[in-house]
Amino acid sequence: MSTAAPPQKAPPPRQRTGARLSNGAFALLLTAPGLALFAAIIFYPLLSALFTGFFKQDLRLPGREFVGLENFAHWLNGDLFTILEQTLVFTIGATLAPFTIGFALALALNTGIRGSGFLRGLFLFPWVIPGVVVSFLWMWIFNANYGVLNGVLVKAGILDESVAWLGQPGTAMLAVIITKTWASFPWMMVMLLAGLQTVPKELHEAAAMDGAGSIRRFFAVTWPQVRGVASIVLLLEFIWNFQHFDTIYVLTGGGPAGTTETFATAVYQTAFKGFDIGRATALGGLWMLLLLLLVVVYLRITERKGDA
Amino acid sequence: MTTSGISRRGALRMLGIGALGAAGVGALGACAPSGAGVASNGGDPKSKNFDFTSWSLNEEAAKPSIEKIIAAWEKAENSKIRAVSYPYNEYLSQLTLKLGGGETTGAVHLDIAWLAAMAQMGKLVDVGPVADKAGYTDVALKSGVYDGKQYGLPWNTGSIGVIANSKLLEKAGIKEHPATVEEFEAALRELKGLGGGVVPYAAATKVAQLKDIFPWMQTFGCDLFDGGKVTIGDDASVDAVTWYKKLHDEKLIAADVDRFDARALFGQGKAVFYDDAIIGKGVTSAQSKDKTLADAMQPMERPVLKAGDTPQAMLWGGVIAIVKGKGQEAATRFALHATTDRATTSEYFAARALPPSTTAGLAAPEVAKDTFTTEWTQKITKTATGSPFWQFAQSAQIDEAVAKQVQAVLVGTSKPKDAMKRAGEEVAALIKR
Repeated sequence: MSTAAPPQKAPPPRQRTGARLSNGAFALLLTAPGLALFAAIIFYPLLSALFTGFFKQDLRLPGREFVGLENFAHWLNGDLFTILEQTLVFTIGATLAPFTIGFALALALNTGIRGSGFLRGLFLFPWVIPGVVVSFLWMWIFNANYGVLNGVLVKAGILDESVAWLGQPGTAMLAVIITKTWASFPWMMVMLLAGLQTVPKELHEAAAMDGAGSIRRFFAVTWPQVRGVASIVLLLEFIWNFQHFDTIYVLTGGGPAGTTETFATAVYQTAFKGFDIGRATALGGLWMLLLLLLVVVYLRITERKGDA
Repeated sequence: MTTSGISRRGALRMLGIGALGAAGVGALGACAPSGAGVASNGGDPKSKNFDFTSWSLNEEAAKPSIEKIIAAWEKAENSKIRAVSYPYNEYLSQLTLKLGGGETTGAVHLDIAWLAAMAQMGKLVDVGPVADKAGYTDVALKSGVYDGKQYGLPWNTGSIGVIANSKLLEKAGIKEHPATVEEFEAALRELKGLGGGVVPYAAATKVAQLKDIFPWMQTFGCDLFDGGKVTIGDDASVDAVTWYKKLHDEKLIAADVDRFDARALFGQGKAVFYDDAIIGKGVTSAQSKDKTLADAMQPMERPVLKAGDTPQAMLWGGVIAIVKGKGQEAATRFALHATTDRATTSEYFAARALPPSTTAGLAAPEVAKDTFTTEWTQKITKTATGSPFWQFAQSAQIDEAVAKQVQAVLVGTSKPKDAMKRAGEEVAALIKR
């Protein structure tokens, strides 16, 4: 006799013991580790550094003394505006020069000339070399007494005698900008080329059929299409150059006679050569305020682009 | 209310992991430099293994001979020495940060100009008990003293002076070394006439070594620091800088030159005079293609303002200091061995032409018979003095402050009088600070 097996009961649904999280709480949870990291490695050191700006403190010696706004006053009554001016000269020069070169090359490569793939790789070469190496390379090129540049120019009869490119106020900043331009133009070229490749060919064809020449097509078709990319590239490069350190430090160390001193080198020199951490952080605080203005501009531009 | 599908328990678990992560970051923070003021850099003082930090380990000409000393010690003591180095121009900054952060232990090679700054950090061992009986010369022993305590075992004691290329002098028809500033200037003009891009005097014009201007200021009669008062800015210092600027404008000295460039130019036979320490002979001749250059190198008394004045030179030297903490005992014995062991110092002298700091070492035949060394001692070290600013922790900043003002004069952005006045004020402020 067979006996029918008792019907198997489906297992009871697992009891949920906890309440559900809202999306807001979940988002907060996901960002918590990142925020904790941000707080530990950015926010705390930042606050600590800003706080240090109100103290007289030597990096080598224990203890510190509260001096109020004295460190900030030191810069405001001293070299701040010279440093700002020199930082702006470097930043504008080292942004516009590689942009112009990068854009010109991007336009050339976008025409599909023969070997454009190879050329694109070749032009990227300076960008993949570490910044310090690039700087040392150019330091040797510009060397006053046995540099390649002087050797070539003197042999070619363009110069009667060697020029101290890095040792004269008139040429030192130019040399630094040239070096930074060499290192930066590939990145700008790649970004702008990517922007150019999104411009529909049909627009160019239509404009050409309407009788537009190449210059007209550039301003009427190409530029409006890549303006967004160009403005982002320019602004990012401007912000990076505003903070740039290695090229200037390796080539001139801020000299001669402080004529290539920027915020980055001045903060470094004050903190790690002068060991005056109070004044260095005060200058860093003022520098950060100026950078914040640039970041606000960047955010406005990207938001506007997002809305559009 | 929308839900995410994650329970509070799960969320708490994730938060716990997040907190652990944050704690990890905190722990990393705890490993970060602890700042100055902690007396010891930790570790077992009796450990056989320790670090040896030296800028010379970064120099091609010096590295092999120091590595040899290290290797011999490791073999004899069955220990391990970790060699650490930074370029000379960055050495003080790097060492200060590492020492302050507790990352440097063992033995550290110091320029005697930096001893006060390092000693004030409170991390160096007083090696007086071992130094007293080691046979160092009095001058050498004093170079390692700060505030009455022996913080450094002297390795080399000498001076920074002018080195001349006798072959080029001969070529220009100059039979004797110029003795006065006027004669020196005339000789530089003669040498400029040699052509071929010759730099008559590869004097320092870059900030990194423009402290070389100090002996010239002293030559013109500036005391630098007298009776607790900074004298940079007086007429003598202005005259010295005005003269230096004249040499620069007439291209008798070259723009953009530091010690490295000067050695390169001298090594290429393109500079006739340059300033260096006694070590310069070994370094410059080693990097030169001209294998006879060493024979042509001659120490020269710095020209004086008027006959009868004392030639000026800056003392120069290196000491080995010991950091409190890991391996301090073994490091002290190593430093003593490197600086006093007869065979080691002789071999080191043979490799680098750097005279030892002990009486016995100096009396060794190979040192005593070396013409360059004995002439250097007679012509340069005999009248050399230490910088009056070495007593201050800010001595490196003082050097740089003056150097920047001198450079401003050279490149034409400041007048000598204004620049020296400002330099004097900046030095006074640094001392006060």
